[in-house]
Amino acid sequence: MFYTPSSELPTHLILRNQLRQVFFPSLGIHLPRPPQLFPSSPSSEASSKWLDAHYDPMANIHTFSACLELADLHGDGEYKLVVGDLGPGGQQPRLKVLKGPTVLSESPLPALPAAAATFLMEQHEPRTPALALASGPCVYVYKNLRPYFKFSLPQLPPNPLEQDLWHQAKEDRIDPLTLKEMLEGIREKAEVPLSAQSLRFLQLEPSEMEAFVNQHKSKSIRRQTVITTMTTLKKNLADEDAVSCLVLGTENKELLVLDPEAFTVLAKMSLPSVPVFLEVSGQFDVEFRLAAACRNGNIYILRRDSKRPRYCIELSAQPVGLVRVHKVLVVGSNRDSLHGFTHKGKRLWTVQMPAAILTMNLLEQRSRGLQAVMAGLANGEVRIHRDKALLSVVRTPDAVTSLCFGRYGREDHTLIVTTRGGGLIIKILKRTAVFVEGGGEAGPPPAQAMKLNMPRKTRLYVDQTLREREAGTASSRPASALCAPPQPCTGPSRQTSTCCASGPPVPTRRPSSPA
Amino acid sequence: MAEQRLVTRTQFPASAESLKPRLKKAPEFPILEKQNWLIHLHYIRKDYEACKDVIKEQLQETQGLCEYAIYVQALIFRLEGNIQESLELFQTCAVLSPQSADNLKQVARSLFLLGKHKAATEVYNEAAKLNQKDWEICHNLGVCYIYLKQLDKAQDQLHNALHLNRHDLTYIMLGKIHLLEGDLDKAIEIYKKAVEFSPENTELLTTLGLLYLQLGIYQKAFEHLGNALTYDPTNYKAILAAGSMMQTHGDFDVALTKYRVVACAVPESPPLWNNIGMCFFGKKKYVAAISCLKRANYLAPFDWKILYNLGLVHLTMQQYASAFHFLSAAINFQPKMGELYMLLAVALTNLEDTENARRAYTEAVRLDKCNPLVNLNYAVLLYNQGEERGALAQYQEMEKKVNLLKDSSSLEFDPEMVEMAQKLGAALQVGEALVWTKPVKDPKSKQRTTSTSKAASFQQPLGSNQALGQAMSSAAAYRKLPSGAGGTSQLTRPPSLPLEPEPTVEAQPTEASAQIREK
Repeated sequence: MFYTPSSELPTHLILRNQLRQVFFPSLGIHLPRPPQLFPSSPSSEASSKWLDAHYDPMANIHTFSACLELADLHGDGEYKLVVGDLGPGGQQPRLKVLKGPTVLSESPLPALPAAAATFLMEQHEPRTPALALASGPCVYVYKNLRPYFKFSLPQLPPNPLEQDLWHQAKEDRIDPLTLKEMLEGIREKAEVPLSAQSLRFLQLEPSEMEAFVNQHKSKSIRRQTVITTMTTLKKNLADEDAVSCLVLGTENKELLVLDPEAFTVLAKMSLPSVPVFLEVSGQFDVEFRLAAACRNGNIYILRRDSKRPRYCIELSAQPVGLVRVHKVLVVGSNRDSLHGFTHKGKRLWTVQMPAAILTMNLLEQRSRGLQAVMAGLANGEVRIHRDKALLSVVRTPDAVTSLCFGRYGREDHTLIVTTRGGGLIIKILKRTAVFVEGGGEAGPPPAQAMKLNMPRKTRLYVDQTLREREAGTASSRPASALCAPPQPCTGPSRQTSTCCASGPPVPTRRPSSPA
Repeated sequence: MAEQRLVTRTQFPASAESLKPRLKKAPEFPILEKQNWLIHLHYIRKDYEACKDVIKEQLQETQGLCEYAIYVQALIFRLEGNIQESLELFQTCAVLSPQSADNLKQVARSLFLLGKHKAATEVYNEAAKLNQKDWEICHNLGVCYIYLKQLDKAQDQLHNALHLNRHDLTYIMLGKIHLLEGDLDKAIEIYKKAVEFSPENTELLTTLGLLYLQLGIYQKAFEHLGNALTYDPTNYKAILAAGSMMQTHGDFDVALTKYRVVACAVPESPPLWNNIGMCFFGKKKYVAAISCLKRANYLAPFDWKILYNLGLVHLTMQQYASAFHFLSAAINFQPKMGELYMLLAVALTNLEDTENARRAYTEAVRLDKCNPLVNLNYAVLLYNQGEERGALAQYQEMEKKVNLLKDSSSLEFDPEMVEMAQKLGAALQVGEALVWTKPVKDPKSKQRTTSTSKAASFQQPLGSNQALGQAMSSAAAYRKLPSGAGGTSQLTRPPSLPLEPEPTVEAQPTEASAQIREK
């Protein structure tokens, strides 16, 4: 029901592929020529570290970095791009799988996807990863792009008092008005919040209450929460292709770790606020560290065996991304800055960005042992930082909404960027490219080399100045008359006129001795 | 667990059924928080339009019960400036979940922004009961108390906030309190701690630098301003302050290169154009100087420092009539400064209005306490008028001031001034040569002389932190202008018409920026 594999490709893509399909032998991806070249001059193209593989401004992909994932879904060594697409205006959620520039499959989703993740469920061959999509209170798991399993979050325990009240209502032992009063009392004080049913009941007019109670009294009250974020955590091996658990963050301020095979809750941790971004390192069975950026602007760091956060980073702004680079937690804040923190929450550095950060992700170049953080900005730039140092700036024509870097097709280092208008950009890192510090901007700000915008003086001004010098005394008479009666010009001639002694502010024309 | 297994192990057909709850008799209630995550993501990405759409949808679906949607809507209202609406919505949130300190904090914040500081403190105190250990509550309470002029309480709260969790903002507010109390040393102490805590915060570095500048500790001031510029080479305040210090030392080219950055970022800043003008003055590009100063004057017509500088430059240009106008305008805004009257007197003397010049000198001498130049100029005028006794009195007054200055600081005097004084002394047949014990060796060092000798007298009471930057920069700029004039006073001849449109201005940038890069 929730998955209907679509066999046909979108028509406009087929057309374009037929029209001009170009084969890049070295890249291993069938790529059509980009319909529109980037606004980059040929010279910068040559010196750039990136090859422009594909740009489709009308790809119609609206998503977040959390819903982008690169994975070898079929186990054939050809990596696909999985997109949990919100659809235009968040109206038509879809699961899209892209191969090269083309959409391989597209299927509607029952609700908006909050996060997508690929993970290995079990050890046996073929080791094809499963795809998990978190949406509402459920995680939908796919294998080989076929629906495999649906996990729903366990129901939250209802408030016992509330339950009791509805029980009484069911047996008609309580009238609606008393019920309302009692429920309001619970809402004022209780630790456990009321269910949606009770809250709705509290809003009703007295005339509607009776009908509402009759309609709903037979139902048991339920409290359901939703998933806000999801990530994966290796179960017991650090290998790249080791079995991983899913880690879920929920709206009721909890973190859940799921068993990869049985989908039981292995561990539950609670947070002081609702998690928005998660970053995990380590293995579940050995030792792990979990960083959760939360809605209250704090980042909480937990470890195995800690039910509550060990450390807390107060950002005094909203985090917009959380990435771990080696041992440093890099956090982007909505005050346009990137911060680096240790795992104990000590601030290491801060870098200011030229525009609002919209999304962040990790860039990992294994062959060179490089890990860096990518930040997608509202001005269309993707900035790549290793700690404080700016390594590279990739410019795109629109605000960057999601980012992903990794193996795509058969190409190891591919950058996937989606833009606010729904565009899709695929860039390939040249194999010869080496990131060096200062590769971005360095040295004095460019404004320093700009000419000062100085008001120019005209010929007329010069003439007037000369005239004032010639006839300053005469022309100023009426002016100084304001302050004193004019005096006949009986002073000595200019030759002998006394220029007073000079001090710094007095420009002496003739510091001749006054004697 | 078994029940959960049941739920979780249900395969898709079953889940498909659960996806159509509307078919049942009693409608299922939508999960209230269903799209909170999406609202939040849109909000932090500043995509407010999309955010509002989701909020609207969510509120429609839940009939206004979704607290977080209302909360974010209120935040957006506040960002858009509709503070009253935001306040009402936050109050709705507080009704929906009365136990949440966060809602109360936001209510208080909106009250604060509406200027209802008293009410805000009450709500914050309420929130503090729900959450004891929140630095934000303490900090904001402190800020409210500042506005209520209860500085002691404010300090307490801010120290509490620092105790709970250290934040740059709290340090800044504490420093502000000390500045409001006029306690520079304490303020510096706080800012020092703050810089220790976050050594890369350019605002803290700049403020600390400016405070040192105000106290005349130039080495440290320059150090901190330089640090600020390392982290943020486009910091407006730091550039202006550092530039003015460079100007004081005669590094006009370097200062100009720095100003170019600011000119791009804040092209309508009066202190900036004033400083640029005085840079050109120092470089003897008088037309350029006048252009820039006139722009500064256009941008801030009531700033007497700019008028002072304009008067000075016009005196140098021998446009005494114009100089007279600018100086008398400056005096209108700043009637308490001896130097201004002296300059006015010089202009009047050159306009051959000796009577008024004398009056101006009298006023100058009355107001000035430490600048020997005022008395010297007056003495010369009196001497030229044939009033040797008056001249002698002024000359002795000058000697007193010179001796005072010599004692208080190891300054050197402008050689031209010394020379003139000696000549006058000889003419008045006064025993001489004792006063000027330090002959000037290096013509460059003289530039510092007069500027620093004046520095002490022109400290202005500086109020808020923001004003401080501006005031300091222009004060510093002003302070150095005598040095510029000192440069011009070397001219023994009328400046050879520097009136041709200046071609050299464009030539400098490259060499100057080269200098910077070498640094």
